[in-house]
Amino acid sequence: MATITQTSNPTTFTPKRSKGQILVDWLTTTDHKKIGYLYLITSFMYFLIGGVMALIIRAQLTLPGLDIVATKEQYNQLFTMHGTIMLLMFATPLFAGFANVLMPVQIGAPDVAFPRLNAIAYWFFNFGSFIAVSGFFTPQGAASFGWFAYAPLSNTTFSPGIGGDLWVFGLALSGFGTILGGVNFITTIITMRAPGMTMWRMPIFTWNTLVTSILVIMCFPPLAAALFALGADRRFGAHIFDPENGGAMLWQHLFWFFGHPEVYIIALPFFGIVSEIFPVFSRKPIFGYKTLVYATIAIAALSMTVWAHHMYVTGQVLLPFFAFTTMLIAVPTGVKIFNWIGTMWRGSITFEAPMMFALGFLVSFVFGGLTGVILASPALDFHISDTYFVVAHFHYVVFGTVVFAMFAGFYFWWPKFTGKMLNDRLGQIHFWILFIGFHTTFLVQHWLGVMGMPRRYATYLPEDGFTELNIISTAGAVLLAISMIPFFWNLWITYRYGVKVELKDPWGYGRSLEWATESPFPRHNFHSIPRIRSESPAFDLNHPELAAPEAKAAYREEGRI
Amino acid sequence: MANRRRKLALVSLFSSVALVLAGCTPEVQRGFLPDSAGVTNHTDRIIGLWTTSWIVLLLVGVVSWGLMAWALIVYRRRKGETGMPAQLRYNMPIEALFTAIPLILVMGFFAFTARDTAAIEAKIENPDVHIEVIGKQWSWDFNYVDANVYDSGIQAQFTGAEENVMETLPTLYLPVGKSVQIDLSSRDVIHSFWVVEFLYKKDMFPAKTNHMYFTPLKEGTYVGKCAELCGEYHSMMLFNVKVVSQSEYDSHLASLAAKGNVGQLSTEYDRNQNLPGGDPEKRG
Repeated sequence: MATITQTSNPTTFTPKRSKGQILVDWLTTTDHKKIGYLYLITSFMYFLIGGVMALIIRAQLTLPGLDIVATKEQYNQLFTMHGTIMLLMFATPLFAGFANVLMPVQIGAPDVAFPRLNAIAYWFFNFGSFIAVSGFFTPQGAASFGWFAYAPLSNTTFSPGIGGDLWVFGLALSGFGTILGGVNFITTIITMRAPGMTMWRMPIFTWNTLVTSILVIMCFPPLAAALFALGADRRFGAHIFDPENGGAMLWQHLFWFFGHPEVYIIALPFFGIVSEIFPVFSRKPIFGYKTLVYATIAIAALSMTVWAHHMYVTGQVLLPFFAFTTMLIAVPTGVKIFNWIGTMWRGSITFEAPMMFALGFLVSFVFGGLTGVILASPALDFHISDTYFVVAHFHYVVFGTVVFAMFAGFYFWWPKFTGKMLNDRLGQIHFWILFIGFHTTFLVQHWLGVMGMPRRYATYLPEDGFTELNIISTAGAVLLAISMIPFFWNLWITYRYGVKVELKDPWGYGRSLEWATESPFPRHNFHSIPRIRSESPAFDLNHPELAAPEAKAAYREEGRI
Repeated sequence: MANRRRKLALVSLFSSVALVLAGCTPEVQRGFLPDSAGVTNHTDRIIGLWTTSWIVLLLVGVVSWGLMAWALIVYRRRKGETGMPAQLRYNMPIEALFTAIPLILVMGFFAFTARDTAAIEAKIENPDVHIEVIGKQWSWDFNYVDANVYDSGIQAQFTGAEENVMETLPTLYLPVGKSVQIDLSSRDVIHSFWVVEFLYKKDMFPAKTNHMYFTPLKEGTYVGKCAELCGEYHSMMLFNVKVVSQSEYDSHLASLAAKGNVGQLSTEYDRNQNLPGGDPEKRG
């Protein structure tokens, strides 16, 4: 009963095409899955580029007084672009990638609501990102004012290079891509759900895509406005962010009004991914489906009210208000964590690679949440703000969420993407190297920050006493880089020698609709859609005796059980 | 089964007790903060909030990780096991409980935070010492307002190999036991005035003055750093704070006056050229 063998439909006939035809097809595609794969591939390439920058940054910091990066200006460019790439060219489009491929399938739709808008959103992201990064090919190099581009450092008086202009306008373009993607996802989820797929039967990943997209259309337009204003200051001599007019604070407010929800834009979809994975490998439905959805909505709502906790040390924000809203976020976040534990509780848990990565996320994320509570307190933040404690904190929440959940999603859905399972043994090796490397790199950075190491310092003094911990951190970063080897090896051997699974649900306990269609997905996602009577239609279909109550009632009427 | 669970619970209890007992060095007791006890009138309060918060949060963490470990070990699918677990979908009382408990914890944490933040940020009326610090790429200017003398710092010079870099840094002198008001501003970009062992920093904005208020209570030399990215040599924007006796403080001010550093530095050399009415053509 564990798996139901269903062979994929052999009638889909694909004529042999030349390489040129395949290329044109990919460049002009409006298919949500292909656009999704384009997003996933492009964002993963940016992950690798940003990762190499991180390695150079870590190498520079290994010992005090090193000159691995020739000038401190170049060091500033590296961490600026590392942050920009990881946030806006890796994590955000990675959400668009997973959402594009999976969300329409999860709601039983043949495509997204606006396929051509979808394509142009991807190309806006692609060209915008390339423009922002292309600063490296200019004589003065890329932007170097930090990924949050504080005024007045980001104006032409202090950052005259063309790299800054490319950064501003590139991000504005790519931001429009993100906005259009958000509009598309919302419309699709509202209007294109299959019969029976009520809002309360949507998979958690789809719910999180919806909530994330709402966040996108609330907070990316202010960023676009702020970027155009900064561009006007830089290119046309406007005075919008002049410090004399309070422009320094205006920029910070606008930027963080975008910047804090952005953190949840790159977290919520990945919470969605692990929410799909825990039930499958625990062989139980998600625990507290509705509280989980309400918690997601609460996090999103609160995330719009906490932006100034990035600005406690400016001395110009209402500390108690922002401290309180920030601390409140811990409540729905805690609810989610306990819901995930509740899903595993009294389950029957197996430890395939997707589950390992999801667990790696859970263990790391809890600690990132705890340090977040510490940072929410202004009295404590005055000391650790802008130190490596903050760096460690956000890598725990962001790397811990995005990267672990991304790999979890890759291992989990690879058979749906390609029709072949990734090798589990290599997946386990990949996981353990990544997990150990990650904690070695970032755990010690908490201590560095508390001891007094500021972030964005190109070097430090031997007297500071930061050397040992920095050596450990760099060693961890090397391990992180090594962990990519088994992953790529896995991709290669799966591509070269993998066998087609020929199963709709190779894991055997899949729950949402993507597990009720062929692997890989057919052109329009489904040849037939099963009856949808709960949030787990595929599971109800394959395990009718354990189906959700509504589904059971329907099956009983039909005489299936 | 029950026996094994009891054993597991005992082992985890013992290991956590051992961890707590092992961690009683002074460094652990102050939560790895720098040795700041009694350095200013605020530091003990901050250390107290820091360590209590960590104890509570780590307890929450240990409970969460413990529940995870328990679930993963006890509810793992054994070799050859078939069948399926009960398909539990929700449990309202438990869900209400794990919403309410964090909410209560957060309320408590907020109460202590609000109390301590208000105390740290409280304005001191009529401070004994009035200082102005002006940030600039990439050093610090100190105005001793009461004595009408100033000290203009230059950027730290080091490649990492020199000895005694700390002694060449610009140094702010403060008399011990006297209440201090520092006015913070900048003549170019945003900087941040951070004295590590004071466990406090505040940003320095061009065209805006921020204030900080405290009383240094312990003589000594403390490391200061710029904590807000301010351009290429951000990492070399270092300084010292020397908390000294009143007589030493007076003689330092006298030596500044003797050097001719009489008067006050101001932000009139603000490098922001985007002033209202400025001509973009002339700025190039």
